[in-house]
Amino acid sequence: MWQYLVKRLVSLIPLLLVVSFIVFMFIHIIPGDPARLLAGKEATAEEVEMARVSLGLDKPLYEQYFIYLKDLLTGNMGYSVKSGAPVSQLIGDRIMPTLGLTFLSIIWALVVGILIGVVSAVFRNKWPDHLGMFTAVSGISLPNFWVGLVLIQLFSVQLGMFPTGGAEGWSSYIMPSFALGAGIMAMIARFTRSSLVESMKQDYIRMGRAKGLGSRQIIFGHALKNSLIPVVTVAGLQFGFLLGGSVVVETVFSFPGLGTLLIDSIQFRDYPVVQAEILLFACQFIVVNMIIDVVYSYLNPKIRYE
Amino acid sequence: MRKFAVLVLILTLALFSAACSSDNAGSTGTSGKTKATGDKELTVAIDQNFITLDPHNAGDTVSIIGIRSMYEGLVGFDKDMQIIPALAESYDISKDGLTYTFKLRQGVKFHDGEQFNAEAVKANFDRIMDDANNLSAKRSFKFVDSMEIIGDYEVAFKLKEPFSAMINKFGMVPMISPKAIEKGTKYIEANPVGTGTFKFVEWKQGKTLEVEKYADYWGGDQTNVEKVKFSPIPENGSRVAMLKTGEADFVYPMPQQNVKQFKNSKDVTIEESPSTIVRYVSINTFMDQYKDLKVRQAMNLAVNKEAYIKVVKDGYGHVLDSTMAPETQYYAKQKAYEFDVKKAKELLKEAGYENGFKAEIWGNTSSESVKGMQFIKQQLAQIGIDVKIKSMEEGTLSDEIYTPAKPEDAKVQMWYVSWSPSSGDADGATRGLFSNEYYPPNGANTAYYNNEKVTNWIKEANATADPKEQEKIYHEIQRTVFEEAPWIFLASDVNLAAHANNLEGVYVAPDGVINISKAQLK
Repeated sequence: MWQYLVKRLVSLIPLLLVVSFIVFMFIHIIPGDPARLLAGKEATAEEVEMARVSLGLDKPLYEQYFIYLKDLLTGNMGYSVKSGAPVSQLIGDRIMPTLGLTFLSIIWALVVGILIGVVSAVFRNKWPDHLGMFTAVSGISLPNFWVGLVLIQLFSVQLGMFPTGGAEGWSSYIMPSFALGAGIMAMIARFTRSSLVESMKQDYIRMGRAKGLGSRQIIFGHALKNSLIPVVTVAGLQFGFLLGGSVVVETVFSFPGLGTLLIDSIQFRDYPVVQAEILLFACQFIVVNMIIDVVYSYLNPKIRYE
Repeated sequence: MRKFAVLVLILTLALFSAACSSDNAGSTGTSGKTKATGDKELTVAIDQNFITLDPHNAGDTVSIIGIRSMYEGLVGFDKDMQIIPALAESYDISKDGLTYTFKLRQGVKFHDGEQFNAEAVKANFDRIMDDANNLSAKRSFKFVDSMEIIGDYEVAFKLKEPFSAMINKFGMVPMISPKAIEKGTKYIEANPVGTGTFKFVEWKQGKTLEVEKYADYWGGDQTNVEKVKFSPIPENGSRVAMLKTGEADFVYPMPQQNVKQFKNSKDVTIEESPSTIVRYVSINTFMDQYKDLKVRQAMNLAVNKEAYIKVVKDGYGHVLDSTMAPETQYYAKQKAYEFDVKKAKELLKEAGYENGFKAEIWGNTSSESVKGMQFIKQQLAQIGIDVKIKSMEEGTLSDEIYTPAKPEDAKVQMWYVSWSPSSGDADGATRGLFSNEYYPPNGANTAYYNNEKVTNWIKEANATADPKEQEKIYHEIQRTVFEEAPWIFLASDVNLAAHANNLEGVYVAPDGVINISKAQLK
């Protein structure tokens, strides 16, 4: 297992190199000129050129890439075109709020989603199932920005329970994580239900019943664990997406996370920030995928990695 | 299991009751609670993040809002963008327009206790002019050749050539404590030290900026607010919600569509103030179908500006009756093009386009721009001009506009856009837009407007130091350009802000900068 993990980590290096190259080329090739945006609307051609030189954007593209790569290897992610602040600081300021929000959203989505899924599977086609699936369908079909605005209206404006936005203190995390987790919760509920319904048809469940096991033991001790593989896959993927910051929910709640930083940076063609953020997302995705693989082998000991 | 089912039921109900209550919340207005004001803390909600707090390197309005709460320049701007003395008690401009002499205010201390004097001005000047620092403020001083210390409290700036907007530019350059300058740019970015009514406390990037009252302010006791917090809230709905909950005392910009729900509010006042932002469609006069003046005049006549303001601007705006907004220096009102489809059709016929022609309009992807372009399309269709709308993401659009090196390469026909001079000066509202030396990529003359007389007048206005003479020239420029219609002149903006009723003295200047220096909380 450990050998496998080390191997996976080593294979990260060429992957990240490829990602860095693709991201670098794409962002430089798309139209838009940071030099002009930096120089401002009243700038003359000469002033735009000066800005271009000061940003190092006058050099050939391959040379810029090697400079970027060299800096990256020495741990220097560069400076923001827009504000001049070090990229590491910009990302550092925003990564903790995003991580916190992601964990909170995924944890409540998992707990509630699995619970609803189990209840629905157990009471299949009875009213708890209908209610559970109704909740799940609502969770998937209500757009999260709308849920966000409704939450603000209800809990901030009317009841005054939570702040409308920001990331100051735990109370400002509650509404955004609810809005963000609702869709994931719904998805997890549906996957748990269908997977558990399948498991309950298996022979070993009948065997368990014949042995005289209680239904609680059968469900939580045997069936559920075997039903979780698709659930883990979905949760892992969603977790990866959330780590990139959810632009919509972050915007609604004025949440200082990575998503809004990325959008601002793309609009301004802030190359260094965009490059660093996308590289970070790629790393996160790879790491999350590794963790999912490890969880697989825990859920099903037949899955082994060499 | 039953308990769980009940929980699910409650959650579902809560969500739906929320959905219902959100519908009528608008009409109930502000039932919200206003924050206890014993602490005299003011929260200002704005729509964007601060980019930098380096006063010599900020170009965006929001950063300037933060900076002007802590910093002052030699001169400043009042509510109407007129120049007023600030750190300089008075100034004198030589007859040839080449020497600007400032008498500095005595007894002014920076927030770190340093004295403000001629040496301090020199330290700021040297920082800006040093190419190694690469500061945007250098552009304000591009016509400045040298600075001279005449006495402890008197300085003179020598210009390379006269520049009509120079005094406005001095208003754009705040003074930093010389001790902070010594510590370098990194220090200045993180620790603003100015002379303003408020001094720096903390800036959390992407989150908030906090400033507190400066007890030793040279102008005495200006405000009873102890602390001010600026919160960037990009989402319109969230910003408005903060006003309702009392989390914010002042909100700018106030979204047009939300104004109605505060009409009868006892807690909140909506403030409308004039803006220097003008909205227009530039017409590429270099292209065949737009070369004829009659075509451009017909286009102006075919657009109903009152309807434009109603439909696109929700009623907040004024018909643009010159090349600049009324708050801009040397503005002169022109006779606006009256909406007259019949006359427009006649003009088009005279120009040989009886059956109209196909045209294209460009703009960015903001919903207001798209709405604006659709409006123009609908209006021009009345005279047979069939307009295709092409809305592009800002960066791509900017590339398309500014990449062509020659007028004949430009593909832009019409551009739906806005402009505001950064320091409210006539030069900023004229030169880059109408001088034939400022075609893209060198400037924003995207109409490729070519009138040698206008180009020369712009130079003449700069060459004279006599304000009367300048005024005369700029009036002539406005009259000529407005008549020759290189734009479809639409509207000038209104700044919309909202504040809690216990707050007074905070306002939005025409350039969109919030002034908090005289804030009073009751």
